[in-house]
Formats: sequence, C-alpha cells, structure tokens
Amino acid sequence: MTEATVTRCARCDSPIERGDLRCAVCAEVVPTAPEARGDVAVLLMRCAGCSAAVTFDPAAQGLACAFCSSVMYLETLADPLEETQVWLPFTVDHDAARAALRRWLSRLGWFRPSDLTRAARVEALRPLWWVAWTFDVEARVSWTADSDAGSGRAAWAPHAGRVDLRFDDILVCASRGLSDAEAAALAGRYDLASGATQPPEVAGATAVGTAGAVAPAVMEQFDVQRSAARRRILSEIDRAAADVVAEEHVPGTRQRKVKVASLLRGLETKRWALPAYVMAYRYKDELYRAVVCGQDAGCVTGRAPYSVAKIVVVVGVVLAGVGVVLAMVAGR
Amino acid sequence: MDVSAEASGALEVRCRNCGAAVVVEAHLKTAECAYCGSHSIVERPSEPGREEPVLALPFVVERERAQALVRRWLASRGAFAHSGLKAAALENVRGVYVPAYLYGAVAETRYTARIGENYTVTESYTGSDGKTHTRTVTKTEWRDLAGRYDRYVADVLVSASRGIPNDELEAVEPFDLRGMRRYSPAMLPGWIAEEPSLDREACRAQAHAETEGSLGRWLAEFMPGDAHENLRFESSLRDEVIDLVLLPVWVSVAKYSPEKPAVRVLLNGQTGEAAGKVPLSATKIALAVALGLALVLAIVLAFAT
Repeated sequence: MTEATVTRCARCDSPIERGDLRCAVCAEVVPTAPEARGDVAVLLMRCAGCSAAVTFDPAAQGLACAFCSSVMYLETLADPLEETQVWLPFTVDHDAARAALRRWLSRLGWFRPSDLTRAARVEALRPLWWVAWTFDVEARVSWTADSDAGSGRAAWAPHAGRVDLRFDDILVCASRGLSDAEAAALAGRYDLASGATQPPEVAGATAVGTAGAVAPAVMEQFDVQRSAARRRILSEIDRAAADVVAEEHVPGTRQRKVKVASLLRGLETKRWALPAYVMAYRYKDELYRAVVCGQDAGCVTGRAPYSVAKIVVVVGVVLAGVGVVLAMVAGR
Repeated sequence: MDVSAEASGALEVRCRNCGAAVVVEAHLKTAECAYCGSHSIVERPSEPGREEPVLALPFVVERERAQALVRRWLASRGAFAHSGLKAAALENVRGVYVPAYLYGAVAETRYTARIGENYTVTESYTGSDGKTHTRTVTKTEWRDLAGRYDRYVADVLVSASRGIPNDELEAVEPFDLRGMRRYSPAMLPGWIAEEPSLDREACRAQAHAETEGSLGRWLAEFMPGDAHENLRFESSLRDEVIDLVLLPVWVSVAKYSPEKPAVRVLLNGQTGEAAGKVPLSATKIALAVALGLALVLAIVLAFAT
C-alpha cells in the first residue's frame, strides 16, 4: 500500500510520528492512500525459499512454510525506544561550576556553618546530559470538584466547569541520574532555542585537577519505549491540568476531589538532552550532593549541612525570652 | 480471466497452485483448495457496501491451544451445567477473522445531577435506661450540579458480521487493540476471513448506543461529593471515524447431547477468553430445588415439634 505522508492528525492536529497506526491522542487511524482496485484479484502467498504455499502461523506471527520452515515476518509495529531529538550545549565550564557552587553555599543563610564556603571541598564533578520531554498542548478541560465556596450545612459544595488551557514547554523528567525535585529546580533555566539536532562531542576523562577529579561526561538515554512515554505524558497533562484547575478555577479556598477530563489538540512532544553538572562536595567528613545547571551558573540545587550549634543557640534564646515574659506575668 | 462470478455472488476461482476449481462464498475472502490445501485470498473491488479492512489483529492462539481452552471452558461451567458438556465432541474448530467496525468520536456532553455532601450531627436521645445519650449521625445535604464533559471516545468495536452478533462478540472482548497491524493479505492464508455483512449505518447506530453506555459510567465516576443521584446527560458525538477491522475469533461447535442442538463456543483469538450460551441441565436444577424444599420442610417440622 502506498503511504500518504500524513504529518498531523486531521481531527486533533497532533503530529503523528512515523510508524504510528493510530493517533496517540485521539486514536484516529492514520489514513493511507487507498488502492483503487477495479478487478477481482486472487492471491496466493508463496514461500520465498521453496515456492510452497504458506500460511499465517500465530506462534511465529508471520507467514510460515510447512516444508522448509522459513518464516516471512509481517511488518512489525514501531514501538521504538525514545531517542533524543535536541541536545543543548554547556555554556558553563568546570571552573564556573565550582565557583557557582561556592556562591550558592555562601548565600544559603545564617543557619549554616560559618566556615561552609571555606571548608567545603569539591570531591567530584561530573558533566551530565539528562533527558526529559517537553510538551505543548491545547486542552479543553472539563472539571468537577468539591470546594468550601457556597457550602451550607456540609463542609463542601460541588462545583463544575469547563476551561480552555494552553500548556507550553512543560518539562517531564525522564532522567535516572537526577531526582524529580532537582529536575524541577533546573527546568526553566535552559535556553531551549540553543539546541542542536546532533549530539555534541563528548570529551573523554580530563586530567585530574587539584580542586577535584572531573569524571567523564555522561550522556543519558531514554530507557522507555514510545508507548510508555506517551502514557506518561498524557498522565502528566492530566496532572498539570488538575493543578491549574485547583489553583485558579475552582472557587473557594479549599478543594477536594478535583477530577478532570481533557480534550487535547496539537500535542507536540520534544525529547531533550539537557546539560548539568552533578557535584559532590565534602564538609567535615560527609559528602553532599549539588547540581548546577549547565547553562545558568546562578541555578544550583542540592543539600547542605545545618549548623547544630547555631540552631541550639537560637532555640535557647527564644525559650529564655519566653521564660522571662512568663515570669514577669506571673510575678505581677 | 480465471474468475467467474455466479448469480449468488460466490466466485469460482482457479487455485493458483494446482489449477483446480475453488468456490469462494460471497461473504468470505478466503478459500481452501480441496485438492492441494493451499489457501487463496480473494480481493474484491471496493464498493460502498463492501470495503477493504483498514486494520487487522493477527491470531495469537493456535489451533491446539484453542481446542484445549474450549474444552477447559466446557468442563468448568458449574454445577448446574449439562452433564454432557465435559465429554462434548468438538466439531468444526475454525479460526475466523470477524469483521468489525472500530468507532471513535468526540463526545460533548451536558449533564445534570444531584450531589450529596455528607455532614455529621450530634444529637441526643433517651435510651432504654431512661437516661439521655448523645450519638453522631451522618446526614446528607443534596445540591444541584450542572456542567459539561468533553472527551475523545475511542476503541468502540461493533460486529459487522451477521454470523457473529454483537453481543456474542462482546462476550469475548476485550481485545488488546495495541496489537493491531495495518491490514495485509499476508495475515489471512490458513484462516477464514469474512466480508462485512451488516450495514455500516446500522453499525454506527449500535456504536452510538455503546458509547452512551460508556459515557454514563464515566460520568458516574466523574461526579464529586459523597454520593450522587438523578444523573442525566445529553451528548452529541462529532468528528466520528469508523473503520473496518478484522478481529481473530476461534469458532467451535460442541455437541453435548444427541437430542439437543449443539452449543457454539467463541474463543478470543488473541487472549484465549471463551464465551457461549451454557445449556443448563433441567434434571440437576429440579433435584437442587427439591433438595432445598426438603431441607426447609425438615427445619419447619423440627421447630414445630
């Protein structure tokens, strides 16, 4: 059959990837140019090896020859592993990343040890491209929820509505190297227009520096197949829609049982490899992890130690103050 | 041209392997040559009433496993089934690609309902001992709700075969439609494939009815609050798509008693799920009823004396 080149679904305007039989969003069958058949045709399938007539064998899932046991497979469904489409380059180099970590440590607040910036030693620095999807979609969201607005004797009153929402560049983390919280902190700090459609040259291990070894750069791959990726993205859209509805569209101050049903149009998904530095630094015999965005030295997320002494002093002062006030009140 | 059409719509074709004459029935796409066993596939021109399938789900369950599954189903029909089922002779176990219409649409629904929200009330009452007690009672406050519910409807299957009515096909559903391939004649040799024999518009109407049923269930789950009643809805279905697909079904006929007609057992050719109208044994039911009555009588007599 001749495949007509269909790039977008006619009904929901979402791009169709090569190999799809049905649209991932609205399940409409991808049309192909129909063959005009004028006459009755009689077909017989023959084995390519020995010319005997073949039958479709369910165990082999293909045309199997009973005589020479060769199998001609049917065209299999495309459910490939997801592959990165766009790679973003590093604009922050190793030294800038170390400097960014120190700046971040110095700005963490008073409850941290005072010598943190001075005494922290960067033990390891690993450049990483972590993988994520971004999606754009228009959604017509029908919702129901209970809220405290308009409630009578019961604590809750039912509400319903329908709202058109647009999501742009929503990031869904697919990384095993970064946690969801770290990915959420880095999202939004990347220049998505700076990407290249070819993977960058990944340099081998560089020389050991005095400030800590630089590990070889890691290029993550997506490890899910296309069908699993689609399920994840559709459930993320529902979650994002429920969050927006609960925040902005359900009346009242408290909500529960927020349920959404969405009609999607134009779901475009892109697969990214985003640069970041994963660093481990040592302070007083303990290792802490921090992640620096590879394109924005101002964006650092991670763990840092608290100063127990400072916390104890503050709590003591507060308790002493409360004790003095109580004594004064009791004495009067 | 080695094809000649008879008045009944059946085609006589020449087997491409041995040249013998083979008759292909009007409602079938495939024929097995009686002399050399090769399977021919006939592709007729597309007419408005008869279209070419767009997608097809290939068979996964093979013949021996299908027979074993049907026998197991017959033997496990329960205590009141006819005793001849366990030893029934399976005649005619055939793998058939059943034509069905795959329907999808955009459903825009307006609904109204009454939603119940629970609240607790402490009330006092006088107990049997004369003292006042308090208890907490849950009451429900009913509120009106109206709204809209828009969503895609997909994967509704309606049988297009006169031979397999829709309710029998539904008994062996669901099929995992992710396994569907684009239709190719290469999936058919060795199997019986039917042309659609039901009118497309009638199937579309049946699909509408199934969709309304599904919408009712989805709306019931969509309601907020602690309870709901009087859920009414009106939906309009637009942007409909309806495509012809072929579904794999093993059809077997089991003769369990010489006087009674045979029972037809369908088996899902992908998942192995079986279904059929189970013939019940009148004698077993009568015996059970008599036993029950005797038990009741015995208890009554025991209490009376």
